[in-house]
Amino acid sequence: MGSVVEINPLTRLEGHGSVKVYLDGARVERVELHLSESPRLFEALLVGKSYAEVPDIVCRICSLCSTVHKVTALLAVEDALGIEVSERTSLTRELMLNGATVQDHALHLYFLVLPDLLGVQGVAELAGTAPELVKQGLAVKKVGSLIQETVGGRLIHPVNIRLGGLGRAIPKHELTQLRDELRLALPACREVCRLFSTPFPFPRLPEPAFLALEPSSAPLASRRLRLGGDRSFAVREYREHVEETLLPHSNAKLSKVMGVDATVGALARLHHGPALSEGAREIFKAHRHELIGKDIRGNNLAQAIELCDAAERALELVERLLELGAAPEAGIAAAPHGGTGTAACEAPRGVLIHSYSFDDAGICTQADVITPTALNQAAMGRDLLALARGMEGEETARMTAALERLIRCYDPCISCSVHTFPL
Amino acid sequence: MKPVRLAIAGLTACSGCQLTLLNCEDELADVLRRFELVYFPMAQSGGRKEGPFDAALVEGAVSTPADLDMLFSLRNASRLLVAYGTCAAFGGVAAMNNGQSTREELLRTVYGGQGSLPESFAPAPFGNFVSVDWTIRGCPPEKDEVVELLAALLAGTLPPVRSYPVCTECRSRENLCLLLEKGELCLGPVIQGGCNARCPATGIACEGCRGPVREANVAQELELLLERGFGRDEIERRMNRFKPGWDYGQRR
Repeated sequence: MGSVVEINPLTRLEGHGSVKVYLDGARVERVELHLSESPRLFEALLVGKSYAEVPDIVCRICSLCSTVHKVTALLAVEDALGIEVSERTSLTRELMLNGATVQDHALHLYFLVLPDLLGVQGVAELAGTAPELVKQGLAVKKVGSLIQETVGGRLIHPVNIRLGGLGRAIPKHELTQLRDELRLALPACREVCRLFSTPFPFPRLPEPAFLALEPSSAPLASRRLRLGGDRSFAVREYREHVEETLLPHSNAKLSKVMGVDATVGALARLHHGPALSEGAREIFKAHRHELIGKDIRGNNLAQAIELCDAAERALELVERLLELGAAPEAGIAAAPHGGTGTAACEAPRGVLIHSYSFDDAGICTQADVITPTALNQAAMGRDLLALARGMEGEETARMTAALERLIRCYDPCISCSVHTFPL
Repeated sequence: MKPVRLAIAGLTACSGCQLTLLNCEDELADVLRRFELVYFPMAQSGGRKEGPFDAALVEGAVSTPADLDMLFSLRNASRLLVAYGTCAAFGGVAAMNNGQSTREELLRTVYGGQGSLPESFAPAPFGNFVSVDWTIRGCPPEKDEVVELLAALLAGTLPPVRSYPVCTECRSRENLCLLLEKGELCLGPVIQGGCNARCPATGIACEGCRGPVREANVAQELELLLERGFGRDEIERRMNRFKPGWDYGQRR
């Protein structure tokens, strides 16, 4: 006798989704992940807009990832128009991305994942049972927010980063304040991983094929993606390697990369051996055996290590910007011309690709956004099935709790995921 | 005193308005103590969307039958309904092309020419379907205005209504006028203030994320921009970014 167990809505994550587990008796037949966010259609909305408008509009895809959407869009438009930016502008963008990572990983770990570890329903109970941890999480998150606010001019959908430059130079006293706040917050950032190294008590999952940008000393200059240990391709040629298909039960398309179900995100990045900051390197060394060669259950710990890395790196960047001194970095008035530009960045939850084509008047003729959650969708489905099968016969409530927890390991962002390429 | 019971939810949106509440790091612990988050799926499992609520803060445009169901359900379950952010109040970015292309054209562009399409209609603000008790503007909203509303709810009231353009705050900050002095496409004169001219203070022209100010002189803004050499298409594209369907003849 067949039955269906449904988790609807999925909670403690961004956007709208649900999961259906199809059972035959106790046997799990299949699991469907529904990313049921309303279609957002940004790629279609961008067609007909000018190159200068694209980054301001497209960052509205997602609030959690608005900084990285904006930076990626700026890089892609600049690639199309051949605009070069100064070191100061580039470092400022990098600082913004690190701030976003601190803010976003802190939100996810302390407020969306931690309730699972403490056996409560969410932030409200958390504030009652673990007020100190909430305070700590808010303090860590706040320093990320401060970077967005000071440098980006706004916490969500930042305004100060623009084509070719910045809206305003960040004055010395504001950078000094950021530096002081970062120094104060660093000890707490280094502690985060203690909370999230608890092993996830469920059956082993399939081995992921990790996809991330190739590590580079200048993260915004990385132009190759690496899959697993030995395969790689140029970001510019992503269309030849990323294949998207429509699913009947999801508004996000399913992506396969070089024919496999890729996994992107913090754990993928750590597998590719990035140059970590000093404190993060130490922590990674201590936890390496829990991460390398492991499945997605290690992703939250990887995020905690990245949070520390991002905070330390942000401090280095602020110090470097203080050395460079403030100077106006007005945006460049580019002469529009036809062309296509592509760029990829590492969003908190994984690889993000933007690609745009413009006509001779600088009007967008085609826009494409490939998001980390769309890339992870196939692997998420595979792991949900493996976990459900591994828990056959267990109580339904236990199984659904585990499935939700698995999804939170991926840290999906569903508003992002329902943006897809014209087939 | 009984805690104030809240629903916080989103329809077709980026979750930025809900995130703005979670970004109130200094106030959040206090908010969690004083309010009961009965339904807040982004941050809380096991919620009840049936309520009842004292207030429902809902973000996003209405663009699918599921959005509409959720909106009616929350309206019915809540004493106050707050259109939380520009999408809820005006349609927002999702609605920018409402005047130019049909929903089906946009869906076909993204989901391909063949096969069935997700159910979706032209994104619309809450006011098209239900009565709205309060509006918080902005993409994203200002944290201060969220905290102000929550404080008012605790006091059993609503905040005072603001009605002045971005220029009022911009001038009082003594910013360089991007429209008159630099000839940029700034929408400050016709857009509701309350953001303390955040973007112009950063050297970025107002993109209009807070929607129209009452008695906006839209015709004068259009003339000013046309005189400065901007094309009608470009001006309308910018005006429509957060709210489609302006009356370009409106003088007050």
